[in-house]
Amino acid sequence: MKQEIIKSPISTILVWLVAVLVTGTFAWILGDIIFHGVGGISWEFLTTAPEDAGRSGGIGPILVSTGLILAVAMGVSVPLGVGTAILLAEFTSATNWFGRFVRRSLDILAGVPSIVFGLFGNAFFAKTLGLGFSILSGGLTLACMVLPILIRSAEEGLRGVPDELRLGAAALGLSRTTTLFHLLLPAAIPGLLVGLVLGIGRAIAETAALVFTSGYVARMPQSLLDSGRSLSIHIFDLSMNISGGDTNAYGSALVLVILLLMINATAAWLAHQSSSKYNDSYQFR
Amino acid sequence: MIINSNNLTKLFITSTMIGLQSCGQSGQNTPTIQKLTITGSSTVAPLVGEIAKRFEAENSEVRIDVQTGGSSRGIADVESAVADIGMVSRALKEEEKGKLYGFVIAKDGIGIIVHSSNPVKEINDEQVVAIYQGEIDNWKEVGGKDAPITVVNKAEGRSTLELFLKYFQLKNSQIKAKVVIGDNQQGTKTVAGNENAIGYVSVGAAEYEIDQGVPIKLLPVGGVEATSETVRDGSFPLSRPLTVITKNQPEGLTEEFIQFAQSEEVHDLVRGQNLIPFQTK
Repeated sequence: MKQEIIKSPISTILVWLVAVLVTGTFAWILGDIIFHGVGGISWEFLTTAPEDAGRSGGIGPILVSTGLILAVAMGVSVPLGVGTAILLAEFTSATNWFGRFVRRSLDILAGVPSIVFGLFGNAFFAKTLGLGFSILSGGLTLACMVLPILIRSAEEGLRGVPDELRLGAAALGLSRTTTLFHLLLPAAIPGLLVGLVLGIGRAIAETAALVFTSGYVARMPQSLLDSGRSLSIHIFDLSMNISGGDTNAYGSALVLVILLLMINATAAWLAHQSSSKYNDSYQFR
Repeated sequence: MIINSNNLTKLFITSTMIGLQSCGQSGQNTPTIQKLTITGSSTVAPLVGEIAKRFEAENSEVRIDVQTGGSSRGIADVESAVADIGMVSRALKEEEKGKLYGFVIAKDGIGIIVHSSNPVKEINDEQVVAIYQGEIDNWKEVGGKDAPITVVNKAEGRSTLELFLKYFQLKNSQIKAKVVIGDNQQGTKTVAGNENAIGYVSVGAAEYEIDQGVPIKLLPVGGVEATSETVRDGSFPLSRPLTVITKNQPEGLTEEFIQFAQSEEVHDLVRGQNLIPFQTK
């Protein structure tokens, strides 16, 4: 019966239509950005500072700021996120009230609009902690924002590791720390990388949270306490606030898309490397 | 087991703290540099950003950070001393004049824009008011084709909105907007993409977009053509001074920068941002 339903032409057409629609939309957006943006990209564009409010010149300092904001965000959120995920997956049972409370809070946090994180970051990091408009404020705000995503996917990754590994390690008398660092974390790397990619994706695309924290300054940052404009803010400003900024907005958008694709590809490659290595060294069945 | 997990947390906390500490130190190594923070109107920010860049080029020991976020934020940040200078895209109100010092650096007009295919050539002030209140909701009532009017309004807190409301003696709650926008460019883009839309944006920016072939046109306000010329000579009724503000009488670096921003040295930058230089006599 089921097969008949699936093979009926209407549902086949519907399924194909949906698939074409989804990929078509993606191809359209990508094609539009490449078509408009590719002419503007050159080595000079990537390395020089913006001129005339971004209408001419390049995006050098903006790329550096974006990289630094991302580095701060990931440098802070990855250790915290992996730590929390280990606590949730390895040190508390799935039904533990504390674990459930943490998980519920994370799910709520994951759904909070980024502008709320921006206002929080502005009030807490920029004003209360006195970091001002700085790459540090922006990076820490983004770290708060991507933590829920990181933790949940790292937790899933750890929970996906077969229990045989834990039991085998315990039977061999390995300490829990050894088991964690030598068996569980390497085995969970694909899950961790998924979280990392999602987190970086959300962070690099963020605009609202950064306007109030890392700021609008398009100068080359000298330290993490300098304000620095991120690529996404630059694109937003050029396309929505600067008349005649469209060419460079498309160029910057293309750079952002290429960056994201590169990060995704690297993560996929790393996941593939680690999983094949893991399969070679830990053949247990 | 518990000890292990404790050690792990300690490790994470210390590593994070070391990270933070080293960041803090790297910023304190540059004490000789004077810093100015300027926040406020997104209309003024690109201009002040360019002025700041030229000022920095001439004074190597100065760093000027320009942030954006709207005129209201400029005022709030100056009052709470978060910023040294604020940017507002309107004149200071009477009640603000007692608390703040304002300095005009350029002028800008606000023009009513419609799609270039719209046959309507002129609408009077009463018609604008009626359109924005939803009393006229079809173009044929003001001499256009039979099509519903898409009213584009600015978001709360934007000076363009305040000025528009003040000139047409409207309250924002009376406006029945179909689209609410933030920055200037969003206005021209919304109207360019909708043949039946009406919106209002900076005259300089609209003129620039029209030159670039964007399908919009400026309608006269109060019978006066909306051009840079009429804004400059003051005959265009819906214009505003772009103002920088301070909490106290400016002195030192703040005073130097404001004088620089008002000087003829930056008139080319003002024109470059599609704004109109303001002559102080």
